[in-house]
Amino acid sequence: MKSSSLAGAIGASSRERERASASASVSSIKFRMPTKEKEKESLIPIHLDLDLDAHRYKDAFTWNPHDPDSLVLSFAKRTVKDLELPPTFVSHISQSIQHQLAEFRSFGGQDMFIHEKIVPLKLDLRVNNTVVRDTFLWDISNFESDPEEFAVTLCNDLDVADPEVAPAIAVAIREQLYEIATQSVSAVKEAKLGKKGRRGYELSKGGNNALDVSRYFGSKGSGVIRKRKDWYMNGPTVDVLTNEEVGTLEELNSRFRRKLDEKEDSFLQG
Amino acid sequence: MADPSPQPPPSASTQSPLQPLQQLAALTELETPSVAPSVSKPDTPGPTATATPELISAPSPAISYTVIVPSFSAWFSWDEIHDTERRLLPEFFDGKSTFRNPSSYKYLRNAIISKFRSQPTSKLSYTEARRGLVGDVGSVRKVFDFLEEWGLINYTPPKKGKEETEARGALGKKDDSSGKRICTSCGAGCSLQCFTTAKANMTLCAKCFVKSNYQRPGLSSADFKRVDLLEEPRPDWTDKETLHLLEAILHYGEDWKKVTEYVASRPVKDCIARFVKLPFGEQFIGPKEEHNGYTEQGGDDTDENESIKRRRLSPLADASNPIMAQVAFLSAIVGPHVAETAAQAAVSALSNLGANEATDLTTETNEEHEKLYSTPCCSVDGCGSDLSNCRDYHRRHKVCEAHSKASIVLEEAKNRGSVNNVAGFICCLSLMG
Repeated sequence: MKSSSLAGAIGASSRERERASASASVSSIKFRMPTKEKEKESLIPIHLDLDLDAHRYKDAFTWNPHDPDSLVLSFAKRTVKDLELPPTFVSHISQSIQHQLAEFRSFGGQDMFIHEKIVPLKLDLRVNNTVVRDTFLWDISNFESDPEEFAVTLCNDLDVADPEVAPAIAVAIREQLYEIATQSVSAVKEAKLGKKGRRGYELSKGGNNALDVSRYFGSKGSGVIRKRKDWYMNGPTVDVLTNEEVGTLEELNSRFRRKLDEKEDSFLQG
Repeated sequence: MADPSPQPPPSASTQSPLQPLQQLAALTELETPSVAPSVSKPDTPGPTATATPELISAPSPAISYTVIVPSFSAWFSWDEIHDTERRLLPEFFDGKSTFRNPSSYKYLRNAIISKFRSQPTSKLSYTEARRGLVGDVGSVRKVFDFLEEWGLINYTPPKKGKEETEARGALGKKDDSSGKRICTSCGAGCSLQCFTTAKANMTLCAKCFVKSNYQRPGLSSADFKRVDLLEEPRPDWTDKETLHLLEAILHYGEDWKKVTEYVASRPVKDCIARFVKLPFGEQFIGPKEEHNGYTEQGGDDTDENESIKRRRLSPLADASNPIMAQVAFLSAIVGPHVAETAAQAAVSALSNLGANEATDLTTETNEEHEKLYSTPCCSVDGCGSDLSNCRDYHRRHKVCEAHSKASIVLEEAKNRGSVNNVAGFICCLSLMG
């Protein structure tokens, strides 16, 4: 009902675009991850970062929200047992997972608009000794996209030795896609509340993640080749660090984190 | 700026872990499984009386292990998906889900099994498995549980029956290697203690741990737990072995490696410990016979004793080994009684180390020692006069009146027993390092 009215409002201006682009689906769709799973089974990224009793547990993985919730508790127990963490972790882990699941489910049933949008995704992660940095464009209207396949291909092509890199890449991609999807939902809400002009709505939708492709690709007519200055950051780089470098990195990270915590505390107090 | 041309992708993305396993598929010789047909799923995956474990050898580049697969899982093959799997994991095969499909199932299954088989002696944990796999953790969990239940991973054959003993005979080496911990980074065997962590399923020997030679940088020293490995209780030294030892020492002197080779059955430390604990020559050989330089020398003549012992002592004092010189000096300074007590305490502590036995001394030695300590008698060779009548001073130093008037050198030399004891003890310590 609401969506149809909005759709109707937009329909006029977007009909032309629709004719222009063959496959664009402008009509509102229910919230889901813009990947190849069917609507009800979007796989979502789960992120865990717990620091209790001087044990640090950091993890990121893909979860199927359609799995029974009993799996959460058994997963938490299994993980704690395998990693020999103190048992207090069980409740924290399962709470965290359920919180993120609930957040995902709260989006369910809401509308989001996915235009034909090409979005830059960034990878900047370190898994054990391997550091991967990359920027690439992703078509989020392509619901056949598969982050897992992308990750596996990337690792194979770049001869990444560590098998744990691929799932980390897949999760990183999913996290960014998830963020985009949720942003588009909130943008829809904003539009409903703010009742921006029809045209204004289109342009400001989605937090301007979309790129003006023509600008991005160089204005001198050869609209296919990237600008030279952007070349360096658009290819994947994979570095393998030695153990010492990793050690210094972690030390810097922890120092940085401690400073942040201190600043937070002082800010709250002051 | 260098031109970042895209790297050409390799022509075929061969997954190296799978290659030896393809060889494995060729090598697998399956006898007709004599087990219940695959229709019925066993409730407990433990092999029943009819199940016979089959050996499938898995050649891997570094070490070859034999992997046992229970015969109720004999249907397994790398390239195919069996009916059992289709039936028991229907969600992968009914086409309702886009990410759960046969190819993803096969990928997960093969990846988990090859990961387990790369280290068949240790149990693959679920968390370890899912970390390296692309996919959602629920699917990984399902496949993992399935494989574990059907003995395709984390399966060790239970110990029972004659068939088992055959299998275990073939696996004898594997069991040894699993019983004895091997350091994952340097490959050396860990004998005394090892440090394990569950996070990465690693075992490090003490040296690698100290060097912080962790494979994965995410680990810190706090993640490791120390495991002290109990040494096997060593059986007592037989007389034959002791004789071998003495012969070897006679031959090779202080070259402990050669001595150990000669005494084939004992490691170096044992040899040294045993030698130190040996009482000196007297009850093996009569008091008057000459023996090698390390045992006491009998002598009837005190003068002869004096000169010989002086000769004996001086090599000790001049020894190029500074420790020995120090020991000789110290024991002379503190006095014979203290030095002897110290040596006794050290030797008894040594014998208590790692073994729950009392001192190793033979009964003869026990008697002799008791005799020595219970009734004070002069410790000069050839003079065993009873000291109970003498003054306290004499009793303390175990010298009868006549001999107490002899020179200082003699007195020192008289207690060469204790000197040698201390020296031997220190020597043992330094060698054991």
